[in-house]
Amino acid sequence: MKNTSKNITILFFGKLKETWKTSELKQTTQVNTIEELYIELLKHCDEEPHKASIKAAINDEFVSWDSSINDNDTIAFLPPASGG
Amino acid sequence: MFDISEDKINETELRKKTRDSACGGFVCFEGWVRDHNQGKAVQKLAYEAYPKLAIKEGNKIISQAMEKFAIKKAFCTHRVGLLEIGDMAVWVGVSAAHRDAAFKACRYILDEVKSRVPIWKNETWTDGESGWVEQE
Repeated sequence: MKNTSKNITILFFGKLKETWKTSELKQTTQVNTIEELYIELLKHCDEEPHKASIKAAINDEFVSWDSSINDNDTIAFLPPASGG
Repeated sequence: MFDISEDKINETELRKKTRDSACGGFVCFEGWVRDHNQGKAVQKLAYEAYPKLAIKEGNKIISQAMEKFAIKKAFCTHRVGLLEIGDMAVWVGVSAAHRDAAFKACRYILDEVKSRVPIWKNETWTDGESGWVEQE
């Protein structure tokens, strides 16, 4: 897959806001999948979160880690739910 | 229907919406903020949600409950924002012709909401510290 530049918004929730010290990032990226984006984002946090417990969403839908990222997507990383 | 609310949950209104003349029973669960958790004294709680995804996932859970169990109506509302001890955090209500389905569906909805709906709990303890609560 050709690595084209994409403008994306990344949202962090719960304790992941503390891991990345922000709730929202706007980025231009060349990565193609959620997994690649996550690996890129790890360069910007001090402590690596437990990946197996994290869920990802694109444009308000849960997605798998191999899902493709497109221009103008909003991507969210979600820690395990703890409502109720 | 699933909803999230920044305001106090109106359980009277929700109960009224769950009533149905074809139903012989109603089962309800109310989750309240308690003053302790995992050995620590809790002062208050803040719930954060990813609202759009939370409503989608919550409604999916209600639809699944309607398919799995012989129930007539089901509602669930989860509170977000800052809550004090004793405040209601979640309300689930189910009506059905017979009690067995209503009990099972109410339990199913609550368990699925707790594990699947993107809502997170941040506790402030009485020692002034705070932290995100992990799934038990």
